[in-house]
Amino acid sequence: MKWLSLLTNEWIKIFSRVRTWIFIALPILIIIGVAVYDKVATDADVNENWKQELIQTTEDDKKALAEAKKNEDDAFYIEMLESNIKQNEYAIENDISPYEKTTWKFMKEMAPISSLIGLFVIVVASDIVSSEFSKGTIKMLLIRPYSRWKILLSKFLATLGFAFVMWLVVIATTWLVGGLAYGFGGIDQTYLVVNGTEEVRERTVVEYVFANIGVEFIELTALVALSFMISTLFMSNSVAIGVAMFTMFAGNTIVMLLATKDWIIYTLFANMDLSTLIDGQNQLIKDLTLPFSISMLAIYTAVMLAITFTVFQKRDVKA
Amino acid sequence: MTTHTLELKNLTKKIKSKTIVDDLSFSVREGEIFGLLGPNGAGKTTTIRMIVGLISITDGDVFINGTNVRENYEKAMEQVGAIVENPQLYDFMSGYKNLMQYARIMPGVTKERIDEVIKLVDLEYAIHDKVKTYSLGMRQRLGVAQALLHKPNVLILDEPTNGLDPQGIYDLRNYLRLLANNGTSVIVSSHMLAEMQMMCDRVAIIQHGKLVRIDEITNQEDEADVKVHFQIEGDVHQAKKVLSDMNPELDVSESGNELIVQVSDLKSIAELNKQLVLAGVLVVGIQRKTKTLEERFLEMTKKGGDLNEVAVPVNE
Ligand SMILES: Nc1ncnc2c1ncn2[C@@H]1O[C@H](COP(=O)(O)OP(=O)(O)O)[C@@H](O)[C@H]1O
Ligand SMILES: [Mg+2]
Repeated sequence: MKWLSLLTNEWIKIFSRVRTWIFIALPILIIIGVAVYDKVATDADVNENWKQELIQTTEDDKKALAEAKKNEDDAFYIEMLESNIKQNEYAIENDISPYEKTTWKFMKEMAPISSLIGLFVIVVASDIVSSEFSKGTIKMLLIRPYSRWKILLSKFLATLGFAFVMWLVVIATTWLVGGLAYGFGGIDQTYLVVNGTEEVRERTVVEYVFANIGVEFIELTALVALSFMISTLFMSNSVAIGVAMFTMFAGNTIVMLLATKDWIIYTLFANMDLSTLIDGQNQLIKDLTLPFSISMLAIYTAVMLAITFTVFQKRDVKA
Repeated sequence: MTTHTLELKNLTKKIKSKTIVDDLSFSVREGEIFGLLGPNGAGKTTTIRMIVGLISITDGDVFINGTNVRENYEKAMEQVGAIVENPQLYDFMSGYKNLMQYARIMPGVTKERIDEVIKLVDLEYAIHDKVKTYSLGMRQRLGVAQALLHKPNVLILDEPTNGLDPQGIYDLRNYLRLLANNGTSVIVSSHMLAEMQMMCDRVAIIQHGKLVRIDEITNQEDEADVKVHFQIEGDVHQAKKVLSDMNPELDVSESGNELIVQVSDLKSIAELNKQLVLAGVLVVGIQRKTKTLEERFLEMTKKGGDLNEVAVPVNE
């Protein structure tokens, strides 16, 4: 199929650029750096005396809670203290050390690195259409015997492929580095989940890690679709990078500010951070759950892609 | 029967009620070099953009090898190679990798073909360098190379001599002729009529988006419009009188230190020269110039636009 060659071309263009390799190298270096720093800096005693320490923390928390209740502090703060106390008491009772480290625990702790992946994917996705317009190379590409939607689809799939590969490389690196640093065991290791007034639950770390890998694929797809749409509409990579980054990073703040509004859960912002929903619903907005957010992202992605393809198909190319 | 590879039928482009290409119709034959000549802003590039589907067609149709571009774009474009305005290439890749981009997605381009094309445009020495190091002329040649890769039978080049040095222009002319002789229809646009005259078999003159006329460029030696320029040392007016007196029918005019006479055959030129010399006029040079296309062009476009190179070549 000649059509697949379009995909090969896009893939080659992505990997012909130095920045792509930097984007891949940077998370890997960070992962190694974190592990090395942790190994060198962590106090080994903590592992032995974790129970003592946890009992102390719990007592402190209880004092703080009493204080907070007396002063009628923020309800969210009180709730947080209560759940911390519950979690720690459960850990002491059942002998689950929060400090026991394995590669799976390391992967769970390193999960926020997905934001960095998201950032790099935004840059690549925003550029792959608009830079061809700004450099004028789009003309040379569009005058081939391929309908425009095929060319756009090849760009979309290439970006998505790049995003997924990058994510998998980072996952594999984290597992490997974590394994070398802390051992590859701990497959049945658990951590504790407290959801508001519910009882404390145990959950395996591996379960969390895989859930996180999965939801990141979904987030990345939505992010690519968003960057794609903006860069096709405005033919500008900087506008696209700006909007996508804003959605990704400022989104949480906006959601917090507008948490009382009913409609907030239908915005793209509110549904962009799936990993916080793995352990249950959003603490601020109880209607936000994983299945709900995934459905919303699916709808947004479909609509954004439809807009992108429609606009691209009709656009007069004057580059 | 002549086969037409490219046909424009009442092609029109309007942008916000401004008509940029106005009811343009012409057909390009198999194996000819067809010129689009017009001052800057005449609508040449806009016409080409419509032909290759970069912009929408407001009205009319384009047929390439009998296929309507509006109806079956993929089929129509299979046999087309083009450069629209400057060839824009991927700066961060080598010339060769740029060609590979297009070789991969066009049918039937072998490795041998790529090497052949690189040799044809004379870029072997720099083909593995990054395109960002290329001069405009080198980019132009790489642009031609990508347009030729899949052996298109319709080759469209928009101002292809832009940035080329004289040697490059000469080479381009030669291989375009070679391609045409092998049956390729070549469409070139330019605002330089001298160039068109040397390169093309037929030229469509376009102004304000309208077709003014189509000229055959025939064998220039036979043209009635050949003029002879006598360069005179001394009194040009006196020299003109000599010729006018002896040849009352002859059309003689002055221009600077030159006498311009409307004759074409060699014998008459020799005769006139003899008359001048015998009358004691110092003739320091004789040149035959064909001005047909230039004159027509300037007449038609009333000196509109920006003609960088109105001088017309001398036929030795
Ligand atoms: N997108 C556009 N919007 C408005 N006018 C345009 C646009 N593109 C081209 N034009 C106008 O159309 C005319 C023809 O342009 P063009 O086809 O580039 O001319 P040429 O290639 O013959 O120099 C010019 O007057 C130009 O200003
Ligand atoms: Mg032009």
